[in-house]
Amino acid sequence: MSQDNTFSKTMQGYGRLTIFMIPIGIAINFVGGQFALLLKLPVYLDSIGTILVGATCGGLPGALVGAVSNVLNSITSPPTMVFGILSIMFGLLAGWLAKRGVFTSLTMTLLSAIPFAFIGGVLGALLTIWVFGGLAVGGGALVVGALTAAGFDINTANFLAQVPMDVLDKVPTVLVVYAILKGMPKRLFAKLPLGYIYLDKRSATTAAQKPTA
Amino acid sequence: MQQDATKERAEFDREFVDAFRRPVSQGNWVRDINPLIAFLVLGCLAIIPIWIEGLIAPLAMCAAFVAISLLAGVGRHFIPGYLKLFLAVGLILFVLRAAFEPGDLVLFRLGPLSPTWEGVQSGARFALVVMVLCGALTLYAALIPAKYLMLALEQQGLTPRATYVLLTSFQAITDLAKNVRVVMDAQKSRGIETEGSILTRSKAFFPIIAPAFLAAMNQTEERAVALDARAFSSKAPHTRLVSLRGPRPWEFGLLLVAVAGVVVSIMGAYLSWP
Repeated sequence: MSQDNTFSKTMQGYGRLTIFMIPIGIAINFVGGQFALLLKLPVYLDSIGTILVGATCGGLPGALVGAVSNVLNSITSPPTMVFGILSIMFGLLAGWLAKRGVFTSLTMTLLSAIPFAFIGGVLGALLTIWVFGGLAVGGGALVVGALTAAGFDINTANFLAQVPMDVLDKVPTVLVVYAILKGMPKRLFAKLPLGYIYLDKRSATTAAQKPTA
Repeated sequence: MQQDATKERAEFDREFVDAFRRPVSQGNWVRDINPLIAFLVLGCLAIIPIWIEGLIAPLAMCAAFVAISLLAGVGRHFIPGYLKLFLAVGLILFVLRAAFEPGDLVLFRLGPLSPTWEGVQSGARFALVVMVLCGALTLYAALIPAKYLMLALEQQGLTPRATYVLLTSFQAITDLAKNVRVVMDAQKSRGIETEGSILTRSKAFFPIIAPAFLAAMNQTEERAVALDARAFSSKAPHTRLVSLRGPRPWEFGLLLVAVAGVVVSIMGAYLSWP
Protein backbone atom coordinates (compact mmCIF):
# COMPACT_ATOMS: atom_id res chain seq x y z
CA MET A 1 0.00 0.00 0.00
CA SER A 2 2.94 2.35 0.58
CA GLN A 3 3.58 2.26 -3.16
CA ASP A 4 0.00 3.34 -3.70
CA ASN A 5 0.42 6.34 -1.43
CA THR A 6 3.70 7.56 -2.87
CA PHE A 7 2.46 7.33 -6.45
CA SER A 8 -0.80 9.09 -5.60
CA LYS A 9 0.96 11.79 -3.59
CA THR A 10 3.53 12.45 -6.29
CA MET A 11 0.82 12.67 -8.91
CA GLN A 12 -1.40 14.86 -6.76
CA GLY A 13 1.35 17.44 -6.65
CA TYR A 14 1.05 17.65 -10.42
CA GLY A 15 -2.68 18.31 -10.56
CA ARG A 16 -5.41 16.02 -11.74
CA LEU A 17 -5.10 16.41 -15.47
CA THR A 18 -1.50 15.16 -15.52
CA ILE A 19 -2.60 11.58 -15.01
CA PHE A 20 -4.75 11.86 -18.14
CA MET A 21 -2.00 13.52 -20.16
CA ILE A 22 0.45 10.65 -19.66
CA PRO A 23 -1.40 8.06 -21.82
CA ILE A 24 -1.92 10.70 -24.51
CA GLY A 25 1.80 11.49 -24.44
CA ILE A 26 2.61 7.80 -24.82
CA ALA A 27 0.19 7.49 -27.74
CA ILE A 28 1.70 10.59 -29.38
CA ASN A 29 5.20 9.08 -29.10
CA PHE A 30 4.06 5.84 -30.63
CA VAL A 31 1.89 7.25 -33.39
CA GLY A 32 4.47 9.94 -34.26
CA GLY A 33 7.06 7.22 -34.79
CA GLN A 34 4.65 5.11 -36.83
CA PHE A 35 3.69 8.10 -38.95
CA ALA A 36 7.31 8.93 -39.70
CA LEU A 37 7.70 5.34 -40.89
CA LEU A 38 4.53 5.61 -42.97
CA LEU A 39 5.81 8.72 -44.75
CA LYS A 40 9.20 6.99 -45.05
CA LEU A 41 10.94 9.93 -43.40
CA PRO A 42 14.53 9.23 -42.28
CA VAL A 43 13.79 10.34 -38.68
CA TYR A 44 12.35 8.66 -35.58
CA LEU A 45 9.98 11.39 -34.31
CA ASP A 46 9.13 9.14 -31.39
CA SER A 47 9.74 11.56 -28.55
CA ILE A 48 7.17 14.28 -29.33
CA GLY A 49 4.86 13.08 -26.55
CA THR A 50 7.68 12.86 -24.00
CA ILE A 51 8.77 16.44 -24.66
CA LEU A 52 5.19 17.71 -24.88
CA VAL A 53 4.18 16.24 -21.53
CA GLY A 54 7.49 17.37 -20.02
CA ALA A 55 6.81 20.89 -21.28
CA THR A 56 3.23 21.08 -20.02
CA CYS A 57 3.18 18.89 -16.91
CA GLY A 58 6.77 18.86 -15.67
CA GLY A 59 9.89 16.76 -15.91
CA LEU A 60 8.73 13.77 -13.88
CA PRO A 61 5.52 13.08 -15.83
CA GLY A 62 7.54 13.61 -19.02
CA ALA A 63 10.10 11.07 -17.86
CA LEU A 64 7.28 8.65 -17.04
CA VAL A 65 5.90 9.02 -20.57
CA GLY A 66 9.36 8.31 -21.97
CA ALA A 67 9.86 5.27 -19.76
CA VAL A 68 6.48 3.66 -20.47
CA SER A 69 6.75 4.34 -24.22
CA ASN A 70 10.10 2.65 -24.18
CA VAL A 71 8.77 -0.42 -22.38
CA LEU A 72 5.92 -0.70 -24.91
CA ASN A 73 8.37 -0.41 -27.79
CA SER A 74 10.64 -3.07 -26.36
CA ILE A 75 7.84 -5.65 -26.50
CA THR A 76 8.62 -6.10 -30.18
CA SER A 77 12.28 -5.07 -30.04
CA PRO A 78 13.97 -5.78 -26.68
CA PRO A 79 17.28 -4.02 -27.56
CA THR A 80 15.34 -0.72 -27.47
CA MET A 81 15.00 -1.11 -23.71
CA VAL A 82 18.61 0.01 -23.22
CA PHE A 83 17.76 3.41 -24.69
CA GLY A 84 14.98 3.96 -22.15
CA ILE A 85 17.33 6.08 -20.07
CA LEU A 86 17.52 8.55 -22.98
CA SER A 87 13.72 8.87 -23.12
CA ILE A 88 13.65 9.52 -19.38
CA MET A 89 16.27 12.23 -19.79
CA PHE A 90 14.30 13.84 -22.65
CA GLY A 91 11.29 14.15 -20.34
CA LEU A 92 13.29 15.61 -17.45
CA LEU A 93 15.10 18.04 -19.74
CA ALA A 94 11.83 19.16 -21.33
CA GLY A 95 10.41 19.98 -17.89
CA TRP A 96 13.56 21.85 -16.88
CA LEU A 97 13.64 23.86 -20.12
CA ALA A 98 9.92 24.62 -19.96
CA LYS A 99 10.30 26.12 -16.48
CA ARG A 100 12.85 28.51 -17.98
CA GLY A 101 10.31 29.57 -20.61
CA VAL A 102 12.21 28.02 -23.49
CA PHE A 103 9.12 26.73 -25.29
CA THR A 104 7.45 30.15 -25.33
CA SER A 105 9.66 31.50 -28.13
CA LEU A 106 10.31 29.91 -31.48
CA THR A 107 14.03 30.69 -31.53
CA MET A 108 14.61 29.26 -28.08
CA THR A 109 12.54 26.19 -28.99
CA LEU A 110 14.68 25.61 -32.07
CA LEU A 111 17.84 26.02 -29.98
CA SER A 112 16.51 23.47 -27.48
CA ALA A 113 16.93 20.85 -30.21
CA ILE A 114 20.68 21.03 -29.50
CA PRO A 115 20.61 19.63 -25.95
CA PHE A 116 17.99 17.06 -26.96
CA ALA A 117 20.11 15.96 -29.91
CA PHE A 118 23.15 15.89 -27.63
CA ILE A 119 21.43 13.43 -25.32
CA GLY A 120 20.02 11.38 -28.18
CA GLY A 121 23.12 11.41 -30.35
CA VAL A 122 26.12 11.42 -28.03
CA LEU A 123 24.66 9.41 -25.14
CA GLY A 124 22.87 7.16 -27.62
CA ALA A 125 26.14 6.46 -29.40
CA LEU A 126 27.91 5.82 -26.08
CA LEU A 127 25.20 3.38 -25.01
CA THR A 128 25.38 1.59 -28.35
CA ILE A 129 29.13 1.23 -27.95
CA TRP A 130 28.99 0.09 -24.32
CA VAL A 131 26.04 -2.27 -24.51
CA PHE A 132 26.04 -3.60 -28.06
CA GLY A 133 29.70 -3.16 -28.94
CA GLY A 134 28.74 -0.57 -31.56
CA LEU A 135 26.04 -2.36 -33.53
CA ALA A 136 22.49 -2.02 -32.26
CA VAL A 137 19.27 -2.24 -34.28
CA GLY A 138 17.50 -0.13 -36.86
CA GLY A 139 18.53 2.06 -39.74
CA GLY A 140 21.29 3.73 -37.74
CA ALA A 141 23.13 0.43 -37.40
CA LEU A 142 23.25 0.03 -41.18
CA VAL A 143 24.92 3.44 -41.50
CA VAL A 144 27.37 2.51 -38.75
CA GLY A 145 28.11 -0.73 -40.53
CA ALA A 146 28.68 1.07 -43.82
CA LEU A 147 31.00 3.58 -42.15
CA THR A 148 33.09 0.85 -40.50
CA ALA A 149 33.32 -0.91 -43.84
CA ALA A 150 34.51 2.41 -45.31
CA GLY A 151 37.40 2.39 -42.87
CA PHE A 152 36.22 4.31 -39.77
CA ASP A 153 36.69 2.65 -36.41
CA ILE A 154 33.46 1.60 -34.74
CA ASN A 155 33.39 4.38 -32.11
CA THR A 156 33.89 7.21 -34.60
CA ALA A 157 31.37 5.59 -36.93
CA ASN A 158 28.75 5.58 -34.16
CA PHE A 159 29.15 9.27 -33.40
CA LEU A 160 29.29 10.18 -37.09
CA ALA A 161 26.06 8.29 -37.77
CA GLN A 162 24.04 9.14 -34.68
CA VAL A 163 24.71 12.82 -33.93
CA PRO A 164 23.57 14.26 -37.31
CA MET A 165 20.63 11.84 -37.35
CA ASP A 166 19.53 13.04 -33.96
CA VAL A 167 19.79 16.71 -34.90
CA LEU A 168 17.65 15.93 -37.94
CA ASP A 169 15.18 14.18 -35.65
CA LYS A 170 14.95 16.69 -32.83
CA VAL A 171 14.43 19.86 -34.91
CA PRO A 172 11.04 18.72 -36.32
CA THR A 173 10.20 17.19 -32.94
CA VAL A 174 10.56 20.47 -31.02
CA LEU A 175 8.80 22.31 -33.86
CA VAL A 176 5.76 20.05 -33.55
CA VAL A 177 5.83 20.57 -29.78
CA TYR A 178 5.93 24.32 -30.31
CA ALA A 179 3.06 24.20 -32.83
CA ILE A 180 0.89 22.16 -30.45
CA LEU A 181 1.67 24.44 -27.51
CA LYS A 182 0.69 27.43 -29.68
CA GLY A 183 -2.61 25.81 -30.60
CA MET A 184 -3.58 24.60 -27.15
CA PRO A 185 -6.60 26.43 -25.65
CA LYS A 186 -6.06 28.63 -22.60
CA ARG A 187 -8.60 26.68 -20.59
CA LEU A 188 -6.46 23.54 -20.89
CA PHE A 189 -3.30 25.38 -19.86
CA ALA A 190 -5.09 26.64 -16.77
CA LYS A 191 -5.40 23.04 -15.57
CA LEU A 192 -1.86 21.90 -16.36
CA PRO A 193 0.96 22.20 -13.85
CA LEU A 194 3.27 24.23 -16.09
CA GLY A 195 0.44 25.92 -17.99
CA TYR A 196 1.06 29.19 -16.16
CA ILE A 197 4.26 29.71 -18.14
CA TYR A 198 2.37 29.80 -21.41
CA LEU A 199 -0.58 31.74 -19.97
CA ASP A 200 1.75 34.43 -18.58
CA LYS A 201 3.42 34.71 -21.94
CA ARG A 202 0.11 35.01 -23.77
CA SER A 203 -1.34 37.61 -21.43
CA ALA A 204 1.94 39.53 -21.70
CA THR A 205 1.75 39.60 -25.50
CA THR A 206 -1.93 40.53 -25.57
CA ALA A 207 -1.26 43.31 -23.02
CA ALA A 208 1.57 44.59 -25.16
CA GLN A 209 -0.60 44.50 -28.26
CA LYS A 210 -3.54 46.30 -26.70
CA PRO A 211 -2.22 49.91 -26.82
CA THR A 212 -1.42 49.63 -30.52
CA ALA A 213 -4.78 48.09 -31.37
CA MET B 1 -46.14 -20.10 -22.42
CA GLN B 2 -45.39 -16.73 -20.94
CA GLN B 3 -44.46 -18.34 -17.69
CA ASP B 4 -41.85 -20.42 -19.51
CA ALA B 5 -40.38 -17.33 -21.07
CA THR B 6 -40.15 -15.58 -17.71
CA LYS B 7 -38.53 -18.63 -16.20
CA GLU B 8 -36.01 -18.82 -18.99
CA ARG B 9 -35.29 -15.15 -18.60
CA ALA B 10 -34.75 -15.52 -14.86
CA GLU B 11 -32.41 -18.44 -15.51
CA PHE B 12 -30.44 -16.38 -18.01
CA ASP B 13 -30.23 -13.44 -15.61
CA ARG B 14 -28.96 -15.66 -12.83
CA GLU B 15 -26.33 -17.14 -15.11
CA PHE B 16 -25.28 -13.67 -16.20
CA VAL B 17 -24.97 -12.47 -12.62
CA ASP B 18 -23.19 -15.66 -11.56
CA ALA B 19 -20.60 -15.10 -14.27
CA PHE B 20 -19.43 -12.04 -12.34
CA ARG B 21 -19.28 -13.91 -9.04
CA ARG B 22 -16.92 -16.56 -10.37
CA PRO B 23 -13.24 -15.78 -10.93
CA VAL B 24 -12.65 -14.92 -14.54
CA SER B 25 -11.44 -17.73 -16.84
CA GLN B 26 -10.08 -17.72 -20.36
CA GLY B 27 -11.07 -21.33 -20.90
CA ASN B 28 -7.56 -22.77 -21.02
CA TRP B 29 -5.41 -23.95 -18.12
CA VAL B 30 -2.23 -22.27 -19.38
CA ARG B 31 -3.92 -18.94 -19.93
CA ASP B 32 -5.61 -19.19 -16.54
CA ILE B 33 -2.28 -19.19 -14.69
CA ASN B 34 -2.08 -16.17 -12.43
CA PRO B 35 -0.79 -13.23 -14.54
CA LEU B 36 2.03 -12.37 -12.13
CA ILE B 37 3.25 -15.97 -11.86
CA ALA B 38 3.10 -16.34 -15.64
CA PHE B 39 5.18 -13.16 -15.93
CA LEU B 40 7.83 -14.40 -13.54
CA VAL B 41 8.00 -17.88 -15.09
CA LEU B 42 8.39 -16.53 -18.63
CA GLY B 43 10.92 -13.99 -17.33
CA CYS B 44 13.01 -16.81 -15.83
CA LEU B 45 12.77 -18.86 -19.04
CA ALA B 46 13.83 -15.83 -21.08
CA ILE B 47 17.06 -15.25 -19.16
CA ILE B 48 18.22 -18.87 -18.77
CA PRO B 49 19.94 -19.00 -22.25
CA ILE B 50 22.05 -15.95 -21.38
CA TRP B 51 24.22 -18.10 -19.13
CA ILE B 52 24.36 -21.18 -21.33
CA GLU B 53 26.91 -20.92 -24.12
CA GLY B 54 26.24 -22.00 -27.67
CA LEU B 55 23.21 -21.86 -29.88
CA ILE B 56 21.29 -24.89 -28.62
CA ALA B 57 19.90 -23.35 -25.43
CA PRO B 58 18.35 -20.24 -27.07
CA LEU B 59 17.02 -22.35 -29.96
CA ALA B 60 15.46 -24.83 -27.54
CA MET B 61 13.87 -21.95 -25.62
CA CYS B 62 12.35 -20.50 -28.80
CA ALA B 63 10.90 -23.95 -29.54
CA ALA B 64 9.60 -24.15 -25.96
CA PHE B 65 7.76 -20.85 -26.43
CA VAL B 66 6.11 -22.21 -29.57
CA ALA B 67 5.12 -25.34 -27.66
CA ILE B 68 3.65 -23.28 -24.80
CA SER B 69 1.67 -21.18 -27.26
CA LEU B 70 0.22 -24.35 -28.82
CA LEU B 71 -0.67 -25.73 -25.38
CA ALA B 72 -2.40 -22.48 -24.53
CA GLY B 73 -4.30 -22.48 -27.81
CA VAL B 74 -2.81 -19.16 -28.98
CA GLY B 75 -0.41 -20.73 -31.47
CA ARG B 76 -2.26 -19.45 -34.50
CA HIS B 77 -1.92 -15.94 -33.19
CA PHE B 78 1.58 -16.17 -31.73
CA ILE B 79 3.59 -18.24 -34.25
CA PRO B 80 3.13 -16.06 -37.39
CA GLY B 81 3.92 -12.92 -35.37
CA TYR B 82 6.99 -14.54 -33.85
CA LEU B 83 8.24 -15.65 -37.27
CA LYS B 84 7.81 -12.10 -38.53
CA LEU B 85 9.90 -10.85 -35.62
CA PHE B 86 12.57 -13.41 -36.47
CA LEU B 87 12.75 -11.96 -39.96
CA ALA B 88 12.41 -8.28 -39.02
CA VAL B 89 14.58 -8.15 -35.88
CA GLY B 90 16.54 -11.39 -35.62
CA LEU B 91 17.75 -11.52 -39.20
CA ILE B 92 18.90 -7.89 -39.16
CA LEU B 93 20.75 -8.38 -35.87
CA PHE B 94 22.43 -11.47 -37.27
CA VAL B 95 23.38 -9.98 -40.64
CA LEU B 96 24.79 -6.79 -39.08
CA ARG B 97 27.05 -8.68 -36.71
CA ALA B 98 27.99 -11.31 -39.25
CA ALA B 99 28.92 -8.67 -41.81
CA PHE B 100 30.79 -6.16 -39.70
CA GLU B 101 32.27 -7.94 -36.69
CA PRO B 102 36.04 -8.29 -37.08
CA GLY B 103 37.63 -11.74 -36.89
CA ASP B 104 40.47 -13.90 -38.22
CA LEU B 105 38.69 -16.43 -40.38
CA VAL B 106 37.29 -14.50 -43.37
CA LEU B 107 34.55 -16.46 -45.12
CA PHE B 108 34.30 -14.45 -48.35
CA ARG B 109 34.75 -10.91 -49.62
CA LEU B 110 32.01 -8.83 -51.17
CA GLY B 111 33.14 -5.30 -51.96
CA PRO B 112 34.17 -3.68 -48.68
CA LEU B 113 32.48 -6.44 -46.65
CA SER B 114 34.39 -9.39 -45.31
CA PRO B 115 32.20 -11.56 -43.08
CA THR B 116 34.15 -13.71 -40.66
CA TRP B 117 33.34 -17.03 -39.02
CA GLU B 118 33.63 -15.34 -35.60
CA GLY B 119 31.15 -12.68 -36.73
CA VAL B 120 28.66 -15.27 -37.95
CA GLN B 121 28.91 -17.18 -34.67
CA SER B 122 28.56 -14.18 -32.38
CA GLY B 123 25.83 -12.77 -34.64
CA ALA B 124 23.78 -15.95 -34.48
CA ARG B 125 24.17 -16.18 -30.72
CA PHE B 126 23.31 -12.51 -30.11
CA ALA B 127 20.31 -12.62 -32.46
CA LEU B 128 18.98 -15.82 -30.87
CA VAL B 129 19.35 -14.55 -27.29
CA VAL B 130 17.48 -11.37 -28.27
CA MET B 131 14.82 -13.46 -30.01
CA VAL B 132 14.31 -15.47 -26.80
CA LEU B 133 13.62 -12.23 -24.91
CA CYS B 134 11.35 -11.11 -27.77
CA GLY B 135 9.54 -14.45 -27.69
CA ALA B 136 8.92 -14.32 -23.94
CA LEU B 137 7.42 -10.81 -24.20
CA THR B 138 5.21 -11.51 -27.23
CA LEU B 139 4.11 -14.85 -25.81
CA TYR B 140 3.14 -13.15 -22.56
CA ALA B 141 1.16 -10.53 -24.49
CA ALA B 142 -0.61 -13.36 -26.36
CA LEU B 143 -1.34 -15.35 -23.19
CA ILE B 144 -2.53 -12.71 -20.76
CA PRO B 145 -4.74 -9.78 -21.74
CA ALA B 146 -3.30 -6.53 -20.41
CA LYS B 147 -6.40 -5.89 -18.29
CA TYR B 148 -5.91 -9.10 -16.29
CA LEU B 149 -2.27 -8.23 -15.60
CA MET B 150 -3.39 -4.80 -14.39
CA LEU B 151 -6.07 -6.39 -12.23
CA ALA B 152 -3.48 -8.70 -10.69
CA LEU B 153 -1.21 -5.73 -10.02
CA GLU B 154 -4.10 -3.80 -8.45
CA GLN B 155 -4.80 -6.75 -6.17
CA GLN B 156 -1.15 -6.58 -5.11
CA GLY B 157 -1.76 -2.98 -4.02
CA LEU B 158 -0.83 -0.97 -7.09
CA THR B 159 -2.94 2.17 -7.34
CA PRO B 160 -5.72 2.25 -9.98
CA ARG B 161 -4.16 5.49 -11.25
CA ALA B 162 -1.05 3.63 -12.41
CA THR B 163 -3.01 0.78 -14.00
CA TYR B 164 -5.29 3.34 -15.66
CA VAL B 165 -2.28 5.04 -17.26
CA LEU B 166 -1.02 1.77 -18.71
CA LEU B 167 -4.37 0.45 -19.93
CA THR B 168 -5.44 3.76 -21.43
CA SER B 169 -2.12 4.03 -23.25
CA PHE B 170 -2.97 0.97 -25.34
CA GLN B 171 -6.41 2.35 -26.12
CA ALA B 172 -5.04 5.84 -26.82
CA ILE B 173 -2.54 4.46 -29.33
CA THR B 174 -5.31 2.77 -31.35
CA ASP B 175 -7.56 5.83 -31.12
CA LEU B 176 -4.85 8.28 -32.07
CA ALA B 177 -3.63 6.16 -34.98
CA LYS B 178 -7.20 6.12 -36.29
CA ASN B 179 -7.46 9.87 -35.83
CA VAL B 180 -4.19 10.48 -37.69
CA ARG B 181 -5.55 8.49 -40.63
CA VAL B 182 -8.73 10.56 -40.67
CA VAL B 183 -6.77 13.82 -40.62
CA MET B 184 -4.44 12.45 -43.29
CA ASP B 185 -7.35 11.64 -45.60
CA ALA B 186 -8.87 15.05 -44.95
CA GLN B 187 -5.63 16.86 -45.72
CA LYS B 188 -5.03 14.72 -48.80
CA SER B 189 -8.42 15.75 -50.14
CA ARG B 190 -7.35 19.35 -49.67
CA GLY B 191 -4.31 18.77 -51.82
CA ILE B 192 -1.52 17.89 -49.38
CA GLU B 193 0.71 15.25 -50.92
CA THR B 194 1.94 12.35 -48.82
CA GLU B 195 3.96 10.72 -51.55
CA GLY B 196 6.80 11.84 -53.78
CA SER B 197 10.19 13.31 -52.93
CA ILE B 198 11.42 13.41 -49.36
CA LEU B 199 10.77 17.17 -49.23
CA THR B 200 7.13 16.72 -50.28
CA ARG B 201 6.65 13.98 -47.72
CA SER B 202 8.19 15.98 -44.90
CA LYS B 203 5.98 18.94 -45.79
CA ALA B 204 2.96 16.70 -45.22
CA PHE B 205 4.11 15.88 -41.69
CA PHE B 206 3.13 19.07 -39.87
CA PRO B 207 -0.39 19.67 -41.21
CA ILE B 208 -1.34 16.10 -40.39
CA ILE B 209 0.34 15.46 -37.09
CA ALA B 210 -0.28 18.81 -35.40
CA PRO B 211 -4.11 18.84 -35.61
CA ALA B 212 -4.38 15.18 -34.65
CA PHE B 213 -2.15 15.55 -31.60
CA LEU B 214 -3.77 18.80 -30.57
CA ALA B 215 -7.20 17.15 -30.65
CA ALA B 216 -5.84 14.31 -28.50
CA MET B 217 -4.53 16.78 -25.91
CA ASN B 218 -7.90 18.53 -25.80
CA GLN B 219 -9.71 15.25 -25.23
CA THR B 220 -7.90 14.67 -21.94
CA GLU B 221 -10.20 17.16 -20.29
CA GLU B 222 -13.30 15.23 -21.36
CA ARG B 223 -11.75 12.00 -20.15
CA ALA B 224 -11.01 13.56 -16.79
CA VAL B 225 -14.62 14.67 -16.40
CA ALA B 226 -15.96 11.28 -17.52
CA LEU B 227 -13.80 9.44 -15.00
CA ASP B 228 -14.59 11.88 -12.22
CA ALA B 229 -18.27 11.20 -12.84
CA ARG B 230 -17.49 7.54 -12.13
CA ALA B 231 -15.76 8.45 -8.86
CA PHE B 232 -12.32 7.53 -10.16
CA SER B 233 -10.60 10.00 -7.86
CA SER B 234 -12.60 8.88 -4.83
CA LYS B 235 -10.53 7.75 -1.86
CA ALA B 236 -12.87 4.85 -1.11
CA PRO B 237 -11.75 1.38 -2.27
CA HIS B 238 -12.72 0.71 -5.89
CA THR B 239 -15.07 -2.11 -6.86
CA ARG B 240 -14.51 -4.34 -9.89
CA LEU B 241 -16.71 -6.37 -12.19
CA VAL B 242 -14.19 -9.20 -12.57
CA SER B 243 -12.08 -11.04 -10.04
CA LEU B 244 -9.01 -13.18 -10.57
CA ARG B 245 -8.47 -16.64 -9.16
CA GLY B 246 -5.66 -16.69 -6.60
CA PRO B 247 -2.54 -18.61 -7.63
CA ARG B 248 -2.93 -22.37 -7.12
CA PRO B 249 -0.20 -24.46 -5.41
CA TRP B 250 1.04 -26.06 -8.65
CA GLU B 251 1.57 -22.60 -10.10
CA PHE B 252 3.99 -21.84 -7.27
CA GLY B 253 5.67 -25.18 -8.04
CA LEU B 254 6.09 -24.09 -11.66
CA LEU B 255 7.65 -20.82 -10.54
CA LEU B 256 10.01 -22.71 -8.23
CA VAL B 257 11.16 -24.92 -11.11
CA ALA B 258 11.75 -21.87 -13.33
CA VAL B 259 13.76 -20.07 -10.64
CA ALA B 260 15.76 -23.25 -10.04
CA GLY B 261 16.50 -23.34 -13.77
CA VAL B 262 17.96 -19.83 -13.62
CA VAL B 263 20.05 -20.66 -10.53
CA VAL B 264 21.39 -23.85 -12.10
CA SER B 265 22.30 -22.11 -15.37
CA ILE B 266 24.10 -19.29 -13.54
CA MET B 267 25.97 -21.75 -11.31
CA GLY B 268 26.82 -23.84 -14.37
CA ALA B 269 28.27 -20.78 -16.08
CA TYR B 270 30.49 -19.89 -13.10
CA LEU B 271 31.61 -23.42 -12.36
CA SER B 272 32.61 -24.10 -15.96
CA TRP B 273 34.85 -21.04 -16.01
CA PRO B 274 38.48 -21.92 -16.56
